[in-house]
This record gives sequence, C-alpha cells and structure tokens, in this order.
Amino acid sequence: MATKTMDLSAEARGAHPGESALHERKMEDGFSANLQAHIGRHVRAVFDEVAREPVPERLLRLLKDLEQSGDK
Amino acid sequence: MRRKVSAALRDSLVAEMSSLRAFGVSLCGDKERADDLVQETLFKAWNHLDSFHEGTNLKAWLFTILRNTYFSERRKRRREVEDTDGSYAAQLATPPEQLGHMDMQDFRAVLARLPDDQREALILVGAAGFSYEEAAQISGCPVGTIKSRVNRARVRLAEMLGLAANVDFAPAAATPVIKSA
Repeated sequence: MATKTMDLSAEARGAHPGESALHERKMEDGFSANLQAHIGRHVRAVFDEVAREPVPERLLRLLKDLEQSGDK
Repeated sequence: MRRKVSAALRDSLVAEMSSLRAFGVSLCGDKERADDLVQETLFKAWNHLDSFHEGTNLKAWLFTILRNTYFSERRKRRREVEDTDGSYAAQLATPPEQLGHMDMQDFRAVLARLPDDQREALILVGAAGFSYEEAAQISGCPVGTIKSRVNRARVRLAEMLGLAANVDFAPAAATPVIKSA
C-alpha cells in the first residue's frame, strides 16, 4: 500500500483554519525547492542527451546547399 | 534571389542546430521526424533571413519556426486522421506501473505523456534555456499561460512518477503513488 504523504489535513491535526492555508503554502514551497530541482535535472538530461548527439550529415549538407544556391 | 549571409550568422545557425533538434525530438518523440522538422525550419529560416534582424535572438526565432511547423502539421494531420493523440506516448510508453527506480527511460516516457503545450513550455523554460517571456513569444501566448503550463507540467510529472509534493525523496524512494488521471 502506498503511503499517503500529502494529505494530512489541517482538521485531522486539529489546526485552526488559518493554519491550513499556511500549510498549503509551505507545501507549494516544498514542491518548488526539492521536486522542482529533481524534475528540472531530468528534463535537462533528456534534452541534452539529444542535443549532444552530432548533427546529422543531411542537415549540415542542407545548409551547405542553401549557401551555395545563395551565392550564385 | 541573392542572399548574403554573414559567416557569423551561418555559424550561429550551425550552433543552434543541436538544440533545435533536441527541441524537435521532445515535441514529436521521433528523431527521424525531428530531423525533418529541423530541415524544414532551416529551409524556411534561410528563405526569410531578410526578415531576421541580425543581433536579435536567432535561437528564439528558429524555435518559433520549428514549433509552428510542428503544430500546423499536427493540426492538418489531426483533421485527416482522428487519433494522433496518444500515438506519440504509445511509441515511447513504458507503463508507469513499472516505475521502481526512476531512470531516464522512465522519465522520457512520462514526459511524453504530458499534453503537448505543457511539454513544450517545460522544455523551453526548463531545458532550452529560455526565459518565461521568450517562451511566451515562441509559443505565441501570454507569459502567465507559460507559467501555468510549466507548473501544471511539473505537478503532472510528479504525480505520474509517484513523487508526493512535500516529501524529501531519496533516489531509491518509496512505492510509487499512481494517480489515475
């Protein structure tokens, strides 16, 4: 069974209504800090993996062809 | 028509090709097709170089051409064939249930399951190095829209990966919590 980590409601903790909003804001911040960095690293890694590959020959050739046709 | 292209501009075009290609792959999920997109982008860019002002943001300009090319083709195709949605995800799909440890393949798969607009925004801002403002220009929408797309993308990814929002997760973390959409 998965542990439910997000859903400790303010009521269950016997908190005042005002605290609930504060609690949610904290969770958002928690999200930005840790998770955001974690996701960010992976998004960049997926992108960079392709970006680091050599540019296919046909694309380089196209550029050359375009250039030559432009020089005429 | 005679085109005079400065060596600097040509070099910049070459320099941007790699990231343009990576952007294409993250949009369509297919390298062959991404290369076609880059090819078309270069071709269009070349033929409209006079409308580009040297010294302004070449990268953003190229990304704009590529994404417009992709989305207009997609719209066209969608009119012809009913289902294009999910075809990309299906190509790359690793069922999320198999997520135990999160590796790149898992991440690629969940990224592919994001709605197009969210994935685009996340890649532009989170990987390609654009500001929210630049991303908004590229996608032709308000900055606020980009911000909310990026946020929704992050939340969605976290859900699909079973990462609870307020947990300090370790690499080997917890049982995935899969929320059905």
